[in-house]
Amino acid sequence: MNLSAFSTAYTIAKDEWRYWLRSKIAITVLIIGLLLTLSSVIVTSINMLELNHDRHDLQNAAEQTFVEQPDRHPHRMVHYGHYAFRLPSPLATLDPGVDAYTGNSVFLEGHRQNSAMFADQRQGTALTKLGSLSPAFIVQVLVPLLLILIGYSSVSRERESQTLTFILSQGTSIFVLIAGKALALISLIGLILLPLILSGLFTIGNGENPIVVASFLLGYAFYLIIWALMIILFSTALSKNSESFTALTFVWILFCIAMPRIASTTASTTVPSAGKLETDFTVIAELRKLGDGHNANDPAFAKFKASLLAQYNVDTVEDLPINFRGAVASRSEAELTTVLNKFAEKRMDEELSQTQVSRNFGWLSPMVAIKTLSMISAGTSIETHHRFMRETEKLRFDFVQSLNKVHVEQLNYQDDINRNLNEKSSKQARVDSANWQVLNDFTFTPDSPSTRLQRSVSSYLQLLVWIIVLVGFIQLTGRRAQ
Amino acid sequence: MIKIQKINSVIEASSLCVDINTPPILKTLNFQVKKGEVYALLGGNGAGKSTTLKTFLGFNIPTSGNAKIDDQEVTEALDTTREKCAYLPESATLYPHLTARENIEYFLSLANIRKSQDDINQAFQKVALQQDAWDRHMQTYSKGMRQKTAIALALLREAPIFLLDEPTSGLDPVAIDEFNHLVRELALSGATILMVTHDVYGACQVADRIGLLRNGELVGEFDAPENGRIDTEEVHRAFAQKESA
Repeated sequence: MNLSAFSTAYTIAKDEWRYWLRSKIAITVLIIGLLLTLSSVIVTSINMLELNHDRHDLQNAAEQTFVEQPDRHPHRMVHYGHYAFRLPSPLATLDPGVDAYTGNSVFLEGHRQNSAMFADQRQGTALTKLGSLSPAFIVQVLVPLLLILIGYSSVSRERESQTLTFILSQGTSIFVLIAGKALALISLIGLILLPLILSGLFTIGNGENPIVVASFLLGYAFYLIIWALMIILFSTALSKNSESFTALTFVWILFCIAMPRIASTTASTTVPSAGKLETDFTVIAELRKLGDGHNANDPAFAKFKASLLAQYNVDTVEDLPINFRGAVASRSEAELTTVLNKFAEKRMDEELSQTQVSRNFGWLSPMVAIKTLSMISAGTSIETHHRFMRETEKLRFDFVQSLNKVHVEQLNYQDDINRNLNEKSSKQARVDSANWQVLNDFTFTPDSPSTRLQRSVSSYLQLLVWIIVLVGFIQLTGRRAQ
Repeated sequence: MIKIQKINSVIEASSLCVDINTPPILKTLNFQVKKGEVYALLGGNGAGKSTTLKTFLGFNIPTSGNAKIDDQEVTEALDTTREKCAYLPESATLYPHLTARENIEYFLSLANIRKSQDDINQAFQKVALQQDAWDRHMQTYSKGMRQKTAIALALLREAPIFLLDEPTSGLDPVAIDEFNHLVRELALSGATILMVTHDVYGACQVADRIGLLRNGELVGEFDAPENGRIDTEEVHRAFAQKESA
């Protein structure tokens, strides 16, 4: 496009803006779009900041409460448990991603791997389960609809009112006209994205990596450009405004409402996973084979007992220099954790495979592509959640085993087995509260910028292919209209 | 006085055939319009008049034969040919949300033409558009007023070639006379004008030559005598004869 053509396209874009500003519907839709984006950015940011603050406080409080416990039997502390909270990345204020569904805190205790808790969507009523009005949701779902409302008649209006022939007869190429209309829509996108850009800058101030923020915003710009191109394509290809509007509405329903559901249904069909109840029964059956770690006389530990006696060259557990009950608890926890981890890893693999199937639908719907890119960039994707679960599991195992070590080394076996005789023996079976300093400081860090960028590549590719294909179709349609 | 670029503009249709539907709309159409000449294609409904104009604007692709503007095949140099032509549609469709002045400014800027407000005012005066309407939104305009605005735009474009589709449609008798006078003035200043019309009287008033078009074919031509006009009665007779044939 030469300078003169660009200048003409700019003139057309300016006129399109003049048309929008003089049209009550267009200006109303534009104001609604701006207000929606702006308000959701403000509300979500305040909400996330409060949540962040709360989680930070709760993490400190949980640690404080744990270490302030009085002298106790170490195994009671294993069951007393501890909380681990995930502090979201600054960009999570714009896209809470899977956090809203998976939860952001885990209760850590012995012999159990708990799921994350406090998911907004799980706590909500049925009516709120449709998804929160996050900035990401607004830009992914509502802004395309607003763009359709404003731009569906961009070219078809000219054809319907016969001004298209008049424009073309002035020597203006259809492609310059299309470029002008697209330029107007793209400048509109810039305006609608402004609140998102400003809050992106705000997240940089809160410690987010600038390259990740740029990638996040660029992804959204690509996504909305795809919608602008789609609007231009249908508006050029169809001769009537009503046809263009109907077709674009259908495309919006297909891409933004139906396709994400089709993607998740396809994912769960192609990668079937056992239900929670079924998995729980299988896990319990597997754990039963390991024996009860609370019962040192469980036949499942006979071999372990024999090996210990042999190791220390003694005849009875009473002669062992360590607390046999503690050793059983420690061994049991290790075996149990191996089994639990096996199931947890299997479940996470299934979830990841399902997610991958679902993400491939980005080739069929740009909304799926941007949703993936957005969550990955914001550090609120399933991969990040899995890392949180793995890190908290390691934290759980370490702290339980640290308490078991105290049990093994600092509590006399005789005192231990007599703990329930009377109050005195109960007190005798306690260890000093100084031993509760076993908690490692837990801080969940967001994925590194390079990891997030690397994971975004395929979504970027999907968006770019969408742009290339749409530009190709526009060229074909434009040639026909010329 | 409106200035016209002095280039050797010629409109030429040779064995031009346009086949959008069956039967073909234009069948081996042959005619030439010389520089500074007003050529009127006269024909009834469905004769192929508007199709001829749109073919010269590149909106229809010839099935065979040639449609040339200034010795260039229209389809081969679409943008250049369109830049040389000022097209006046039968029913001028300008933007209702803009004023006449804004419409003119917008379309001129699309053609990369800069004109002062004085030039625009002069053009409005020349087409006799009442002054109180110049800065009024066009949604309040009558068909005749819209036509006058489009004519003003065509004048301001200073194109060497004018393609006029039923240009006096919707104009009152006084405005028609003024328009005819304007067309003659343009021709005298060197503009080449191809107009299509079914108005025999109007065509005879302004045209140097008239071509009778029937079912996509030229069935007769009339030349104006030296310093005179084409005989209306003769054309009318031929037109009526051909139409009833």
